[in-house]
Formats: sequence, structure tokens, C-alpha cells
Amino acid sequence: MKSSGFRKFLSETGDIARFTGRFFTELFKPRFEFAEFFRQCYFIGYKSLPLVAITAFIMGLVITIQSRPTLVEFGAEAWLPKMVSVSLVREIAPVITALICAGKIGSGIGAELGSMKVTEQIDAMDVSGTNPYKFLVVTRVMSTTLMIPILAVLADAVSLYGGFLGTNIRGVCSWDLYWNQVFDTLTYGDVIPSIAKTFLFGFAIGIIGCYKGFNSSKGTEGVGQSANSAVVISSLLVFVLDLLAVQITDLLQLT
Amino acid sequence: MAAKDFRNVRLGIFVLVGTGLLIAALYLIGSKQNLFGSTFHISANFNNVSGLMKGNNVRFAGINVGTVESVEIVSDTSVNVVMIIENSVQKFIKKNALASVGTDGLMGNKLVNINSVNEPSESIEEDDVLQSLKPVEMDQMVRTLDVTNENIKVISTNLRNITDKINSKNSLWNLLMDTVVAENVKSSIVNMKLMSNEGLYITGDLKAITQGIKNGKGSIGALITDTLISSKIKQSVITLQKLSDTAAIVTGDISQIVRNLKHGKGTMGVLLTDTSLIHNLNTSVKSINKGAVTFDEDMKALQSSWPFKKYFKKQKKAKK
Repeated sequence: MKSSGFRKFLSETGDIARFTGRFFTELFKPRFEFAEFFRQCYFIGYKSLPLVAITAFIMGLVITIQSRPTLVEFGAEAWLPKMVSVSLVREIAPVITALICAGKIGSGIGAELGSMKVTEQIDAMDVSGTNPYKFLVVTRVMSTTLMIPILAVLADAVSLYGGFLGTNIRGVCSWDLYWNQVFDTLTYGDVIPSIAKTFLFGFAIGIIGCYKGFNSSKGTEGVGQSANSAVVISSLLVFVLDLLAVQITDLLQLT
Repeated sequence: MAAKDFRNVRLGIFVLVGTGLLIAALYLIGSKQNLFGSTFHISANFNNVSGLMKGNNVRFAGINVGTVESVEIVSDTSVNVVMIIENSVQKFIKKNALASVGTDGLMGNKLVNINSVNEPSESIEEDDVLQSLKPVEMDQMVRTLDVTNENIKVISTNLRNITDKINSKNSLWNLLMDTVVAENVKSSIVNMKLMSNEGLYITGDLKAITQGIKNGKGSIGALITDTLISSKIKQSVITLQKLSDTAAIVTGDISQIVRNLKHGKGTMGVLLTDTSLIHNLNTSVKSINKGAVTFDEDMKALQSSWPFKKYFKKQKKAKK
């Protein structure tokens, strides 16, 4: 299958689309693997929480400290909670969560499925009558799709808490006033699109990780390659989806 | 199996906390926009809403009490703004309250202000229409500010001139800055102080003098204060009066005497007025004259008589 780079890219895109289509057909077939789904949810969601929380906390703190000098220049220091909350909730917390998860979960899924593929466990599953796609791919993609939004909500909360601490490093803003200002500023137009796009991020991370692992080439080298490319492509897809989400929300006047 | 249960519990907590936070956030945002809780609708018609939009805040007495639900053009001069207001403030907003479109801060969001009018009225009800005030427009403000700026420019130019004048030579400022003048002023003030001190002494003295005069010290004092002298003077004046009275009487007497004299009363009067006496005197003198002539003749006869002849001759010889 020798072909040019562009052709390879197109065929891979087609493969991913086919893979995604297969996910939806398999999703609605009966016998959903609940036990495996919850196990994956635990690993993908719960186990990623400390990493996401620390990152979000630091981002909230840093964004607040970084925004202060500009706002002080305008004499709008009091607007710090408002500005920080909007930037954190709308963009930073969801995207940071998605990128961290792309690194941690995408690579994990890619490596796990890749090694299973290499060690012919998937083929063995197929022979033993278990649907490997349903058992491995559907559960993982579903858990990433549902867990990333929850992680993003928690990341919002933790980053806003970081913002509260950041506001109080040089200024004074009481706990009540901070949250009052935050929720005064935020609207559904800020929160709902930003949560909605994290479902897409989660889905993209899961599907790319699974695709790369499922289609891993033979050998240990292939496992590393699939893990690596899973991270790269899912991170890239997060940004592409972010761009699309922003354009769609802007088009629908949801902002 | 226990380990798997434990995992599931933790996963459950994770999911519940995440979704709980999301729901709490959505509720808080919704409550800020009055999507939950009991509300009622009122509206107001404006000529111009200055960019008011759905979702802008409605303030009553400066407190957020609701949001703008819709902004619709009714006619070419009228825009209908429907507001959702919390039920809790219904009793405070009266039917005659005024609605106006304002701005949150100088550059902030547009909002509707509902202001009470200082007249009694009933509380507002669902679907009531409020009176509206013409909004303060930024353009107009800027235009006014422009005029103000022009004025300030002129004023500042004038101020500059004044300060220039003050700073230039031969000015008040120079005078103020001149240390010699200041010294002079200082010394003159010292002199004035001395003078006033002396004046103080003088007034003290004067006070003492007047005190003395009051108390009858010194001649003036005595004069002014001695009651004895004054009574004496009084007495002498009385005496003088009496004297003049007496003089008048004397004069009267004199004139009486003179009159009497004229009429020949008394010795002197008789003397002065008796014409017969004068006649007698005249005749007496005539007789004396006669006697003298006779006596002369007698003497001559005697001279030529012998006893006396020799003597007369001798006298003639001595004369020669």
C-alpha cells in the first residue's frame, strides 16, 4: 500500500470516519458492557482528577496574576473576578482539561489497545465470541465522552478557586463578593457551549486513542507509535473542535 | 469484589460532585437572570433605548430586581421594553414610578432604572406600563463636555497668564519673595508692636490720670470734683447777684438824688437851684467891687498923707 503523504492522510481520515461510524452502529447494539464501562470511567475520570485539578488550579492562579497588571492600567481592578471567570470558564479550563486528558488518556488507550493488538489479544477475543470492538472501543469512547465534561466542570471550579486566591494576593476580594461577581458575569451563553464542547473533546480523545490502538502496526515499535500519534492527533483535534465550537456558538448567537 | 465496589463508590462521588457543581452553577446563573423563582412582568415605552438588550439588568433604587425580557419596536417613536421583576419587590414599585435607560458605570452595560416618584400611589401589578424618562445619551454628554472643555481651556489660559504675571519681575510675587522687604515688614511690625506697647502705657497713664481726676487728685481734679469750691462759687455768684442788685438800687438812689438836685431839694439842691441866692451873691459881689474901688481911693489918699509919704518914696527909690 505505497501512496503519497496526502493520499495517506486522506485514507486515514476516511478510516477514522469509518471507525467512528462503526462506533455508533456498535453503540446501539444490545449487550452494553456496563462493568467494563464503569471500570474505564474510574480510570479515565477519577484517576485523572488530581492531574486535571492541579493544572486547572495553577492556570486559574496564573491567569489571575497575569491579568491584574493590564486591568490595573485601566483602573478596572475590581473587574478581575469577572474577567478571569469568563476566560477560565469559556476557554481555559475546558481546553486545558482536554489537553491533559489527551496526553494521559489518549496515550493510555493507544498504548493499551496497541499492545493488545500486537499480542493478538483482540483477535483472540474475536475468536472467543466477545465483540472486541464493543468491549474495548465503545466502553472507552463512551467513558471519555462522559468523563471529560465532568472533569471540565471540576476544573472550572478548581480554577475559579485558584482565581480567588490569585485575586487576593495583591487585592482584597471577599469569598462572597468573588463568587457573586463570578456568577453575576457568567451566563448560560458562557457555560453551556463550553461544557458542550468538552463532550466533543472527550469523544475525539477516546475515538482517536482507540483507532490508533486498534490499528496499531505489528511490533513493540508500533505500540509506541500508536500511543504517540494518538496524543498528537487528539491534541490537534481538540483545538480544531474548539475552533468549530466557537464558530458554531457564535453563529447561533449563543455567546 | 469489595475493591470494585469501592472504586464504583469513588467514581460515583466523582460523577455526582461534577454534575452537582454544573447544576449548581447553572442554577446560580439562572437565578441571577430571574429564570427561577416567582416573577411578574411590567413594561415601559421609550423613545430610544440606547442599545438596551434582552437580558440587561433592571434596577429599582439601585438594586438589581429583574432583567429585560424583550425589546420591541412598537412604532416609529416608541420602543416597548418588557421586564421580568421579582415578586418580592412588587409592593415597593408604585404605579407612578419612572423607568429610564441608564448605564452601569461610565462604559458599562445598559440597564433600566426604575425610580420612585415622591407621590403616593398603588403598588404595581402584572403587565402594568411605567412612565419613562428620556435616557441620557452619551453623545449629548460628550457634546456638553466639549463645551465644558472649551471653557476650561479659556480658564486655564487665563490662569496661565495670571501665574505668568505673578512669576514676572515687579510683581506681587516678587514682593512676596523679596527678603529685604520681608525684613522691613518684619521690623516695621516690630516697631508697630513697640508703638502699640507704648500706646498701651499711654493709655494706662491716661487711665490713671482720669482715675485720678475722678478721685479728685490734682487741681483739675479738685476743680472738677471739689463740691465745697463749687458751693463757694455758687455763693459768690449769689453775692455778685446781690451786689448787682444793690448797685441797681444805688443807681436808682443816685438818679433820685440827681432828680432831687435838679428840683432843688436839699441843701445842695437849694444851693444849686436857688436863683435869689445867686442874685444876692451878684449884688454882694457888686457891693464888694464898690467897696474895693472906694478902698483904692482911700489908699491913694493915704499914700499922699504925711505919715506914709516917706515910705512910698523909699519904695520908689528901691525899684529904680
